[in-house]
Amino acid sequence: MIGISGEAGNFEVEVLRHPRYVDMEKCIACGTCAEKCPKKVDDPYNENLVKRKAAYVDYAQAVPLKFAIDKENCIYFQKGKCRACEKFCPTNAINFDEKEETLFLRVGSVILAPGFDAFDPARFDAYKYATHPNVVTSMEFERILSPSGPTMGHLVRPSDHTEPKKIAWLQCVGSRDMNRCGHGYCSSVCCMYAVKEAVIAKEHAGDDLECSVFFMDMRTYGKDFERYYNTAREKHGVRFTRSRVHTIDPIKGSDDLLLSFATEEGVITEERFDLVVLSVGMEIPPEVSELAQRLGIKRDESGFCHTDTFYPVTTTRQGIYVCGAFQGPKDIPQSVTEASAASCAASVDLSSARGTETLSVEIPEERDVSNEPPKIGVFVCNCGTNIGGIVDVPAVAEYASTLPFVAHVDQNLFTCSQDTQDRMRDVIKEAGLNRVVVAACSPMTHEPLFQETLLACGLNKQLFEMANIRNQNSWVHSSDPAAATDKAKDLIRMAVARAALLKPLMAKRIPVNKRALVVGGGVAGMTAALGLGDQGFDVVLVEKETQLGGFSRELTQTIDGSNIQEHILELIDRVTRNDKIQVLTESLIVGFGGFKGNFTTEVLVGPGMYERKIDHGVVVLATGAREYIPREYLYGEDERVVTQVDLSKRLELKGASDLKDVVMIQCVGSRNDAYPNCSRICCQSAVKNALHIKELNPDANVYILYRDIRTYGLLENYYREARRQGVIFIRFRADAPPSVESSDSGIRVAVKDHVLQRDIQIHADLLALSAGMRPEDTEELSSILKLARNPDGYFMEAHVKLRPVDMAGEGIFVCGTAHSPKLISEAISQAMAAASRAATFLSQSEITLSVVTATVDQERCAACLVCVHSCPYGVPKINRDGVSEIDPALCHGCGICAAECPAKAIQLNCYEDDQVMSKVDALLEGVL
Amino acid sequence: MIIAEKKPIEEVIEMVKDFRKILIVGCNECVTVCEAGGKREVAVLASSLRMYFMNQGKDTQIDEVTLERQCDREYLEEIRNRIEQYDVVISLACGVGVQFLAETYSRFPVYPGVNTCFMGVTEERGVWSERCQGCGQCILGSTGGICPISRCAKRLLNGPCGGSTKGKCEISKDLDCAWQLIIDRLKELDRLDEYEQIAPIKDWSTERAGGPRRVVREDVRQ
Repeated sequence: MIGISGEAGNFEVEVLRHPRYVDMEKCIACGTCAEKCPKKVDDPYNENLVKRKAAYVDYAQAVPLKFAIDKENCIYFQKGKCRACEKFCPTNAINFDEKEETLFLRVGSVILAPGFDAFDPARFDAYKYATHPNVVTSMEFERILSPSGPTMGHLVRPSDHTEPKKIAWLQCVGSRDMNRCGHGYCSSVCCMYAVKEAVIAKEHAGDDLECSVFFMDMRTYGKDFERYYNTAREKHGVRFTRSRVHTIDPIKGSDDLLLSFATEEGVITEERFDLVVLSVGMEIPPEVSELAQRLGIKRDESGFCHTDTFYPVTTTRQGIYVCGAFQGPKDIPQSVTEASAASCAASVDLSSARGTETLSVEIPEERDVSNEPPKIGVFVCNCGTNIGGIVDVPAVAEYASTLPFVAHVDQNLFTCSQDTQDRMRDVIKEAGLNRVVVAACSPMTHEPLFQETLLACGLNKQLFEMANIRNQNSWVHSSDPAAATDKAKDLIRMAVARAALLKPLMAKRIPVNKRALVVGGGVAGMTAALGLGDQGFDVVLVEKETQLGGFSRELTQTIDGSNIQEHILELIDRVTRNDKIQVLTESLIVGFGGFKGNFTTEVLVGPGMYERKIDHGVVVLATGAREYIPREYLYGEDERVVTQVDLSKRLELKGASDLKDVVMIQCVGSRNDAYPNCSRICCQSAVKNALHIKELNPDANVYILYRDIRTYGLLENYYREARRQGVIFIRFRADAPPSVESSDSGIRVAVKDHVLQRDIQIHADLLALSAGMRPEDTEELSSILKLARNPDGYFMEAHVKLRPVDMAGEGIFVCGTAHSPKLISEAISQAMAAASRAATFLSQSEITLSVVTATVDQERCAACLVCVHSCPYGVPKINRDGVSEIDPALCHGCGICAAECPAKAIQLNCYEDDQVMSKVDALLEGVL
Repeated sequence: MIIAEKKPIEEVIEMVKDFRKILIVGCNECVTVCEAGGKREVAVLASSLRMYFMNQGKDTQIDEVTLERQCDREYLEEIRNRIEQYDVVISLACGVGVQFLAETYSRFPVYPGVNTCFMGVTEERGVWSERCQGCGQCILGSTGGICPISRCAKRLLNGPCGGSTKGKCEISKDLDCAWQLIIDRLKELDRLDEYEQIAPIKDWSTERAGGPRRVVREDVRQ
């Protein structure tokens, strides 16, 4: 992107498009160009641990799956001769004449997602990364562990390809380091990925492998992360040593490495390792900094995009939004969340244009084939030489024509090419075929394409079957063409057998009620409601209290000094003035039914508590969380013991002039046996209040007793500032917590100081407990709405990494602290993300239900409840007739009930017993 | 419901290994629900036997059918037309069904494919436990709905024996003492005074001790 001119709603974006020298229309990703290319170059996808060719595709799952030519390394471009790829490309897709192109795009909003670079540790001499092969970055180690990586997941060290017996991870390389690289921030993700890599390394190499992680603070602050950390330590035996290692020394006469480090007790220790992994942090690449400069977007001192706490995806230039690591260091789920949030912000600006550029495909009316005997067409693909070079395709085609019900057989060079599809269409019509088998590659990538062709001929798309004679045959049996040919015949015989039993299935279409129900009127709920209301969707916002605001009403300001109460008032004002949003306060959800697009919720609406039924298409859960009420450390017994939330309020109201010594204790009600997870926000709450005390009364002493300080991301800057201002941080061990005693003159806090290695006592005027968080109302709602919760009671999303705001049940979304403890800015992002996901669903007027659903033969059903118990989505119900009923709108088509039903009364459409068994029978035909 | 368990495949093979035409008959009632003899188990057993015979090089025909119930003649009649073609029948019904099938088709050898265990409940999927022994003289009304006949190892009628420790029975630490449960329940119901009343000697003649039993209901008999 060269630049952006114009303004929000009417931008002109100048894009420079580099040539890939491969015509995307023609490339079928057969890989011949890469195979024939004589030039080997380092493979950046595999962290340069192996070579690829100058004609390449980044990795097997690349989107689009189209090859490109690396001009800098191409022999033709560099030396004027070669063009081997052009000569061998079966579809003439290579085009060396392709030129750079400048495009001008007219858009209303822009979302920046330029990402980050992994820190390059070559600049740290003491770590020998640049000179010693057995010092690798975590990114390199990630590739070494990967089954698709250079060693196919076999864990070996680079120097001699032997299996390491001892691996060390060094944390905070390029993070939390003002001294050597000027990166004051925490990169947020490295603790968790180091723990993960250590666990996976042990899984690959066995329990004999010793894994040691050297860290300063273990920052496993995310949802369920602490549990993972505990398991790594206790179950997998990963060793964690609190020490920042200064130097890695090669051991002469071997490929091993020596680490010298100070233990927690201050003893200098030396230890030998076979391999050292540097847990490198994130940094903003220079080209991203330049881009930001060109766009006139403000950045912070570390180079990350500047955003406001309450508008976390809005840049300083109107109409331009940001997401991902450019906004601040973050992990995958948060990036995914923020991406949805940015699209929500952009969609709000552009909602009037929604759907204006949509095109629809004309599909001919479906032919009824139910009374016709099967008439199968088999299309055998050569896939260039991919299949044809190994398998005797003419012989296979000949064989296919002898199979029952086969009326037509064709062999094609590339079945997926457009001209073959056109011919296939003609053949289907002319020969009156009513079932089609394509013997080619993977249905994963190509089934939809062929099904389109069936649809265009008026055939139901379920009347299609594929035999994968490439990935599962010619590729793996290239050394034995005769056997591969036999296997291709077997696979086709199986496919034809199943094809004969295929039945047309009609996908049911159901209308979508375009109204959203938002549960919870706190910051997250209001933000989600506005995200939807501002896009023109009707919203009903249900709040149990008499007024909106939720737990945030208790809060004063964020760590960067933003006023929370002002923001709540603004949100309340916007929500109440938005004519698309209807607010029901003092209201409780008492009943819930229906399915995606068509839910009905029963609400008792206060103050009269009359019952009201609300029909809606989606639900956004934003029920929030509260501060844990401590039972520890004299809380509730001595009024000088308060929580951080109490302290914030007190500082606001009474100031700090009367405070001389304040002690704070971290992890109260978190990271313990009863509640193993970290509450994420309490470390920054303590730092925030400590800084506030120092601001109000610089002479006051503030002591923070902690286990790990988890000021992740840019919050680290505040931690550093607190230390600079003289806040004293004293670490304690989980097994030796501080003791607290009440006395007339103050609260006596005793703790063992880890630096002095002795017990110390502090006399405090005030003891602030960093109490964790607890979810609110999730128990009751989860039983009414049939929602999954994690062991701590937070709602469980559909996929912790990739679908962070979707619940498993479709049409239900979650945001804010109902999902897990989080900061206000994170709750706002997630609320916008939930609104965005909900809007994506609501913007369709109809949805098509999957045809792959389970159906019950009610005659056979013994009402044994096995399906009810085994369905992971809670879909089967025993109905009034006393038999199981499975709602196709709710069924996910996983097939578990069909497999488990002891009466065999359940079948899964498209995978009916006879359809599955026919393939097995065909395979074993003649063998048994 | 009647709880049954699948017999080990080796035992079934031992019974039918010399036959060449086998019909496996499932039952769509209790044994389906306790996952021992429904249509799925019929299919699983049939596959296992086919594999066995194939490995032995023996050409054996194995067919499957699952009846609605095997304890009613009408349902058993459904296989009358086809049973002639088999040498042997394996019934996956409870002992009741196996016998009634054998009784109905007395010319055919009928073998059981399950072990019938007890009358019980599904505690959770895969866990069943006994609740009734069919003593013919129900006393649940005076024991807070907990049966000491089926749940006390000694079938005591007047409180626990000396083997009751911390609420558990002396025969297994996993087994609740039925009388502890009864006392707790009566306490909860505020009916502990009933516990004080001595239960009279039970008439065991309605139980198995009185010999095989029969119920005749003249009012519904046809």
